[in-house]
Amino acid sequence: MEKIKHLHNRAGFGLSPGEWQQKRDWTVPSAVDELFDAARSARALPVENEIDELPDMMSMPDSKEKGAKVAQFLMKEGQKVATLGTEWVGRMASPSESALLERVTLFWHGHFACESKVYTLAVNQLNTLRKHALGPFRELALAVARDPSMIRYLNNQQNRKGQPNENFARELMELFTIGRGHYTEQDVREAARAFTGWSSNIIGEYTFRRGQHDYGSKTFMGKTGNFNGEDIIDILLNRRETALFLTRKIYRYFVNDQPDEMVINDLADLYYNSDYDTGRLLRHIFTADWFYAPANTGNKIKSPVTLMAGIMRALELKFQNDMAPAFIQRSLGQLLFHPPNVAGWPGGKAWIDNATLMLRLNLGAFALSSKEVNLRLKDDPEAAERGKAFKRLSADANLGPILQLTQGKSRQAALETLSAYLLSLQPKLGMAELADALEETDETLFLKKAVAALMSFPEYQLC
Amino acid sequence: MKRRSFIKHSALASTAMMAPAFLQSFPPARRYASRAGKVLVVVQFSGGNDGLNTVIPYSNDLYYNLRPNLAVPSAEVLRMNDELALNPAMTDLKSLYDDGLLGVLGNVGYPNPDRSHFRSMDIWHTGSSSDEYWQSGWLGRYLDSECAGCERPYHALELDDGLSLALKGEHRSGFAMSSPEQLRKNTDGALLKALAKYEEVHNHDNESAAYLYKTLVDTQASADYLVEQAGMGRAEGDYPPTAFGQDLRQIAGLILADTDTRIFYVSLTGFDTHANQKGRQERLLEQYAQGMKAFVSDMKSNGLLNDVLVMTFSEFGRRARENGSRGTDHGTANNIFLLGGGLKQAGCYSKSPDLANLDNDDLVYQTDFRQVYAEILNKWLEADPVSILKHRFDPLGLL
Repeated sequence: MEKIKHLHNRAGFGLSPGEWQQKRDWTVPSAVDELFDAARSARALPVENEIDELPDMMSMPDSKEKGAKVAQFLMKEGQKVATLGTEWVGRMASPSESALLERVTLFWHGHFACESKVYTLAVNQLNTLRKHALGPFRELALAVARDPSMIRYLNNQQNRKGQPNENFARELMELFTIGRGHYTEQDVREAARAFTGWSSNIIGEYTFRRGQHDYGSKTFMGKTGNFNGEDIIDILLNRRETALFLTRKIYRYFVNDQPDEMVINDLADLYYNSDYDTGRLLRHIFTADWFYAPANTGNKIKSPVTLMAGIMRALELKFQNDMAPAFIQRSLGQLLFHPPNVAGWPGGKAWIDNATLMLRLNLGAFALSSKEVNLRLKDDPEAAERGKAFKRLSADANLGPILQLTQGKSRQAALETLSAYLLSLQPKLGMAELADALEETDETLFLKKAVAALMSFPEYQLC
Repeated sequence: MKRRSFIKHSALASTAMMAPAFLQSFPPARRYASRAGKVLVVVQFSGGNDGLNTVIPYSNDLYYNLRPNLAVPSAEVLRMNDELALNPAMTDLKSLYDDGLLGVLGNVGYPNPDRSHFRSMDIWHTGSSSDEYWQSGWLGRYLDSECAGCERPYHALELDDGLSLALKGEHRSGFAMSSPEQLRKNTDGALLKALAKYEEVHNHDNESAAYLYKTLVDTQASADYLVEQAGMGRAEGDYPPTAFGQDLRQIAGLILADTDTRIFYVSLTGFDTHANQKGRQERLLEQYAQGMKAFVSDMKSNGLLNDVLVMTFSEFGRRARENGSRGTDHGTANNIFLLGGGLKQAGCYSKSPDLANLDNDDLVYQTDFRQVYAEILNKWLEADPVSILKHRFDPLGLL
């Protein structure tokens, strides 16, 4: 039971009350099979509209009209990207979608960190990450190198023969594949030459600009040839350090913030020898005994998006306002499609400060009651003046399924049942003390308060 | 016993009798002493303030050539010396300059400047170079450095509902609060109170859980302390009736109450003036100048002027050449203001910006912003700037 809960917490976003009732006694292999089966039949996100023309956002507006046009375009697109983020979190929270695929895609979204300001670019990138999330890493890395949003974010459009821009080439090595200390500045320069001409056109599609590509000979990591970007990625993947770098990151995300180098070393061999088959690596991790060892359970701080998706899944929560989930993401420091920089979200304890913790602990209560949030976020740097405070979350919850778990139980037994379902680490506060603290005579209100209170335990922040 | 400490002493005594044990670990012993240690206030201009129309090179014809619509006529500027003057909206700041309390450092920036708000702010907050990605802030790493009093969660306080990266360290972070009332509302839920009541439930072997409980307990204790402190300070200056003015009033109140907070962080937003810059920028500069004057008068009348330093910065300056919309676009080097009674020497530290040698219409920086950080860390906060900034920067000799 604890194993199934742990698996779904780490490989997905927890279990809905219905799933908990149905699956908690499954064996690990069959639960893992089911997760991977669901991932195979997942659908891509629909792309709602194509862009006619992207305004040139790199050069600053030279007229009032153009400036206003770009500002208006970006504002509209910003809202659409926020709505896309809401739709994505909705999928993470929905038992009818593939939780594994969404979770692994969320991992890659943080790995290939990229800010997307335009809806079509954001949704296309997300679909690219989803398509290759559980497949060979080579395909994923190549697709990202050809992804228009990434190309724009890391200035590969400005990377031309004779005038190289090294931004993408550098991050490809430092953050996306092999990691610092395993390449030279010369390697960065030569790799940048190999990616010249990998560009994006005015309607936001990938395009290879022959005229801008440097077809000359390059020397990269000791090899010489007329390399293009594909060759660079292959040379990088040939280095075992790349498998080690990626595996360590995967381990720290799915297993434990503290790396166990012995285990990671074995996993890196497996990843390297399977031609970087991410699905196979993850299946191996999720079926390993050590994955369920006490040292690896109940000790990871949920990311804001994971926390939110988990609450939504448990309460069948629907927000009345599409911007509310974006507000929570922003306040808690993980706004989808807006990582802090190309290094992604640091994670772990870095999620927590006094302000984020208090909002996290109150999130369940904010969702279940009309309790005032009344938070004022930092304004966008482009904002003309200080914005208004965010008043309420305004969400509809369906408590039916979760309260069904408590049917026919005494107060204390009901609390114990809810605690076993919601928390990965059992709190030390006794359920009798909790019942007293809630000070509620009405049975239905008591259970509602109990759910909110259990979500307020610091232990609920962990998985 | 001074009146101020008497009130505190009795207030503490009554709280202490009722408070559970963990609450008594805060407030710390220094509450009984009078003021000790220096205070730093950081003011952030968000959006990229146009430095050239803030500190104006009024005797340079190139300035007027670059800005046919936006240049401030030399007859209107507030002259500081033969080259530089303050924007006419800043008469209150000019009076602080005249009193020898303001230091103006020009041409501050960093190599390979980034013109994105987010990235450049990131660089200023972390103190990294433009090709490095750091995940902790310069003041956060100061808190990590075992400095005196840094173990108190409210040693560094941001007046906001969220905490800026500048204040996030690897082990310790600053504290965010828009107002004590708002903070209180979020810490006084039934369960959170119950958790506070049973100290033994906080002790988990699980390191993450222990960390969460510690942060929760610190926040609850800090809320009690800050609510109490906020009720004691009496800021009387003439603060502008804006959010920024009220933030400054709160800061002044906490300083006057001898609060054990040594670093305050506050932002003023709206400087991204791509179009119709004049009115908007001047309203903001006026707010800033008024707020600073009120703040200084509060510090002065309480004899605290020499203990307080205010540093004001923005993520970048703006393009020297104006654009076609009576505004300016994202640029590079900018001014930093230092304000307080503890400056070694006040006035303009640097020459007029070199408008004859622009890089694609952008100013070329001369002083690295991390030299300013290093100076503050070394001379004001008495910390080791090399370990905090991870590089050695030349001293400026300002403090």
